Amino acid sequence: MEKKFKPNIVGFLCNWCSYAGADLAGSSKTDVDSSLSVIRVMCSSRVNSNLVLSALLWGSDGVLVAGCHPGDCHYEQGNYYARRRFALLKKIAEVLNLEPDRIQLSWISASEGKRYAEVVNKFAEDISKLGPNPLTSNPKV
Amino acid sequence: MKNQNVLVIGSGVAGMEASLILADAGMKVHLVEKDSLIGGQTIKFEEVYPNMECATCMLAPKQQEVLQHENITLYLLSQVKKTEGSAGEFKVQIGKKARYVSLINCIGCGACYDPCPVSLDNEFEQGMSQKKAIAVACPGALPNVPAIDADNCLRLNGKKKGCNACEQACGFGAIDFTEKDETINLEVGAIIVATGFDQFDVSGLAQFGYGKHPNVYTAMEFERLYAQNGPTEGKLTLREERPIKSAGIIHCIGRKEKGYCSGVCCMYSMKFAHFIKDKAPEAEIHEFHTDLCIPGKSHQRFYEELSKKIDFIRYEDVEVKGNNGNLEIIYTHSNGKRDSIKSDMVILSPAMIPSKGTKDLAKVLGISQDSMGFFSTQDQNLSPIDSEKEGIFIIGCAEGPKDIPDSVSQAEAAAGRILSLLQ
Amino acid sequence: MNKKIGVYVCECGPNIPERIDIDKVIEELSSMGEVKTVKRYSLLCSNDGKKFLKEDIEKEELTHVVVAACSPKEHENTFMKVCEEAGMNPYLFQMVNIREQCAWMIPDKEEATSKAIKYIKAGVHRVLFHDPLKKKELEINVDVLVIGGGISGIEASLSLAGPNRKIHLVEKTDSLGGMAGKLSQILPHQGSKIKLVKEKIEQVENNENIHVYTSSDVKEVRGFLGNFEAVVKSNQENKEGIEEEIKVGAVVLATGFEMFDLKENPVYGYGEIENVVSALEFEEMIHSEKIELKNGKKPKSVALVHCAGRKEKGYCSKVCCLYTLKFAHYLKDNLPDVDVKELYMDLCLPHKQDQSYFDQAKEKGVEFIRMDEVEKIKKSGDKIEVEYRNNDKADKVSVDMVVIAPAMVPSQDTSHLAELLNLPLDKSGFFKELHEMLDPVATPMEGVYITGCALGPRNIPESMTQSHATSGKILSSLIPGRKVKPEVKVSEIKEDLCTGCQTCLSVCFYGAISYDPFKGVSVVNEAICRGCGSCVGSCPSGAIRSKHFTYYQLYQEVMEALR
Repeated sequence: MEKKFKPNIVGFLCNWCSYAGADLAGSSKTDVDSSLSVIRVMCSSRVNSNLVLSALLWGSDGVLVAGCHPGDCHYEQGNYYARRRFALLKKIAEVLNLEPDRIQLSWISASEGKRYAEVVNKFAEDISKLGPNPLTSNPKV
Repeated sequence: MKNQNVLVIGSGVAGMEASLILADAGMKVHLVEKDSLIGGQTIKFEEVYPNMECATCMLAPKQQEVLQHENITLYLLSQVKKTEGSAGEFKVQIGKKARYVSLINCIGCGACYDPCPVSLDNEFEQGMSQKKAIAVACPGALPNVPAIDADNCLRLNGKKKGCNACEQACGFGAIDFTEKDETINLEVGAIIVATGFDQFDVSGLAQFGYGKHPNVYTAMEFERLYAQNGPTEGKLTLREERPIKSAGIIHCIGRKEKGYCSGVCCMYSMKFAHFIKDKAPEAEIHEFHTDLCIPGKSHQRFYEELSKKIDFIRYEDVEVKGNNGNLEIIYTHSNGKRDSIKSDMVILSPAMIPSKGTKDLAKVLGISQDSMGFFSTQDQNLSPIDSEKEGIFIIGCAEGPKDIPDSVSQAEAAAGRILSLLQ
Repeated sequence: MNKKIGVYVCECGPNIPERIDIDKVIEELSSMGEVKTVKRYSLLCSNDGKKFLKEDIEKEELTHVVVAACSPKEHENTFMKVCEEAGMNPYLFQMVNIREQCAWMIPDKEEATSKAIKYIKAGVHRVLFHDPLKKKELEINVDVLVIGGGISGIEASLSLAGPNRKIHLVEKTDSLGGMAGKLSQILPHQGSKIKLVKEKIEQVENNENIHVYTSSDVKEVRGFLGNFEAVVKSNQENKEGIEEEIKVGAVVLATGFEMFDLKENPVYGYGEIENVVSALEFEEMIHSEKIELKNGKKPKSVALVHCAGRKEKGYCSKVCCLYTLKFAHYLKDNLPDVDVKELYMDLCLPHKQDQSYFDQAKEKGVEFIRMDEVEKIKKSGDKIEVEYRNNDKADKVSVDMVVIAPAMVPSQDTSHLAELLNLPLDKSGFFKELHEMLDPVATPMEGVYITGCALGPRNIPESMTQSHATSGKILSSLIPGRKVKPEVKVSEIKEDLCTGCQTCLSVCFYGAISYDPFKGVSVVNEAICRGCGSCVGSCPSGAIRSKHFTYYQLYQEVMEALR
């Protein structure tokens, strides 16, 4: 039986909501797929296309960006910019012959520990179904 | 006022804001909270109107600031027992109940909850779920340290003196059964009362069937029902776990009895309609109201948007009847017609009343209550936050029903008054 | 700099060793070239733990520190302080979360261990790219500019003024008092007249720390919290056009409100029908103690019509139900046998004492009539008919005099001042507060506050409370002698990469970015920047760098994750 592909995913979590939600998932002892490596940023709006595309070009099987729910952004409007940028990023992914579902934007609040786990576990499963990153050009540092 | 110490009673939204403003200015704040956690009533709400913002997310940074501020000393499970003196030199005695768990050593891992053999009704969850005798009030409670309920703990109430299940499970030695209640004496220059509100007890109004019919909820119960960290983790079903197909939300419960409008219920009742629509989009919702009290800038728009999706009925009188588990709301419309609507669930929006300890605290502080039971203030028209005694300020719902922005404004104002006196 | 990194793995009691093989972690980390020492400790955040950390940093002469423990949201500040006390730059520190986001969520020990190693290695790579940021200290001015001399502005000035703090109170008309100055009785619950506003104005005039500029405008405001410069222009006869530049630390907007123009809706017959008056005109009648019809006779019946403009404006103005009750009480108390009818949509009585005031009016015989809306006010012989609908049924009342309560609207200057100060307005044209729930008197511009009806309809006690609230915020942040320490992890624009497209300007919620037309580039004001990184994310040229969250720093974490 073929071993299930375990993806390598990168997640950018905003400090105020989603990172706190991830912490809550941990303190509630919820199991979360270890495929995702978390990188903390202050706001989802910090995550520019550069960061997402670099991650994909260097071999990340998927990129998750998580921020506060619309209306709850600690900096008032940052997550709206993230949302708009994302629509564009999905299009760029297509141009690169990457499945657009490899990039995902989710809203996770500080009290949604369970939801964080659900989002990450589902994303990891979806990515493992998509298979390894077709553009893999891992620099093997 | 030379004394740089201030006593703040109550750690809800108002108490926290006043504490932070004063602490940032360099004052030494003594924040007394009767419960085991900080945040007051607002942390019970999943979302607040009109923007449906996540209440816990909104308050978490403030709570953390309060817990970590070097100028704020927090006294949990504490109440003010005695005061004497006057503005500039109040002598205050605080009674602090033992928590039996060290706030310094405990890291909040929760290993002690499961082993505890005692379960009791969780007051924070409005009795809709149980918690152990050693527990935090809810997931995400701050500080994230449990407290032991001395009346129910088998060891502390003497029923099983040898029980040490929690102590054994703790890897940090954070549990200390030898901790004693404490008395702390302070001298402060000013006192801010921010003891908040409670919900009017609807069980006294038989016509609404609360307590008789299982699917009649109070506002607070419904808030906890919808909360992600609540007894059902945000799942909205009826008590028999059936999905909700219809709901009736009745405003103004207790208004006649109390003699005042609580100002916030129309808005939070409409917020409830949003909650239901979120989890049961096909549900039919009716809001029963008398006057719509929606004075905020964006409140009318909130109402107009909602009235496109649900029914608003202006009533003269209303009651709830039940037969075989089905609820019926029988009412007289403002046009005089009598009618009724069947409903799976009924939510009652009760008046805001002064919080439980108001009478005792008023005595301790030597100030009086007004005819509605809230703390009296000197002149409602000029300085609604000044109590009868100089140096004692009343803010937030302790002064009277109000919404969060007004509570915060009063909190900042009290801080402003104190800092202004020091200039 | 010769970089020496110390890695400290906190066991958090039994929590972490149960789920992570710490020996393996230490083994892997020790093999990294840049790492000088890897140590483990049972509870690093305890007093003993912090002492151990400080001493070890000093002993090993470390330049960079990585602590692998709980969430940075818990103890990042704690350990940064320790680094500082040990003589290190606290920003050459990275906290790695191996508890909540590793040990506690990955059940398999092997997986959790390799994840922890990955995260800590990422932390080591990242910290090498940290800059030794320095906290700046700025001198501040503690004086305050208050724009608007109504009751809100007056109260704010009185509350803020002190021997070390001058208040500049600017009023566009020739006298202080605003709208409240036109009211005879303040609010409903006092029986006797109170000359509140007059007393307050006297207090202001006698306060040597308050400088009043009447018949003056604010032309310009530049700067930020603690360092504003404003230009006040006089329109007084003998000083026409003279401008004065003042330096202040904070600005309070108290520009108040105006009344909805009833002429906008011909349904009310205002300006056309005699004896149809606005609330303000009725106030003037009370003030001169002459409630009379145009023919000099006293009215035998009066209709008080609420909610004029409510539908047009889209909000309830909150205070009208109460002041019309005041009118009703006044009429019943001063005109014998007068018949008073109140026509209302909803009774807005949100304060605890309001309902009893309403009940008393009812007891005096005031008739309360609920309506959906006014259909038309028209003349009928020597009477006035107010036609209305209630529950879709048409009805009318016939009276001698009609008093209409119009909506409260933002004052004319609001939009102009909003532009001047780069402040947002809400949908109804009032100033928008920073956070509707938790920051009702602040704005996105730190140091600029708003009080009173400039924010939206409210009554006098509420406005005065808000003035005290702005005072609380200012007295707490602008303290004489204390310097302001702005956020350090801010954004920075590289001039040579900036094309001057100003995209960053448009996404900055706090107005921290300005455009330099001479250099053709955008510039970040580090004193205002909150460090969110929105500008970084939207810059098409990659010219903006977020200190402490730079591309290279974040990329180290990405690279390690993908190894």
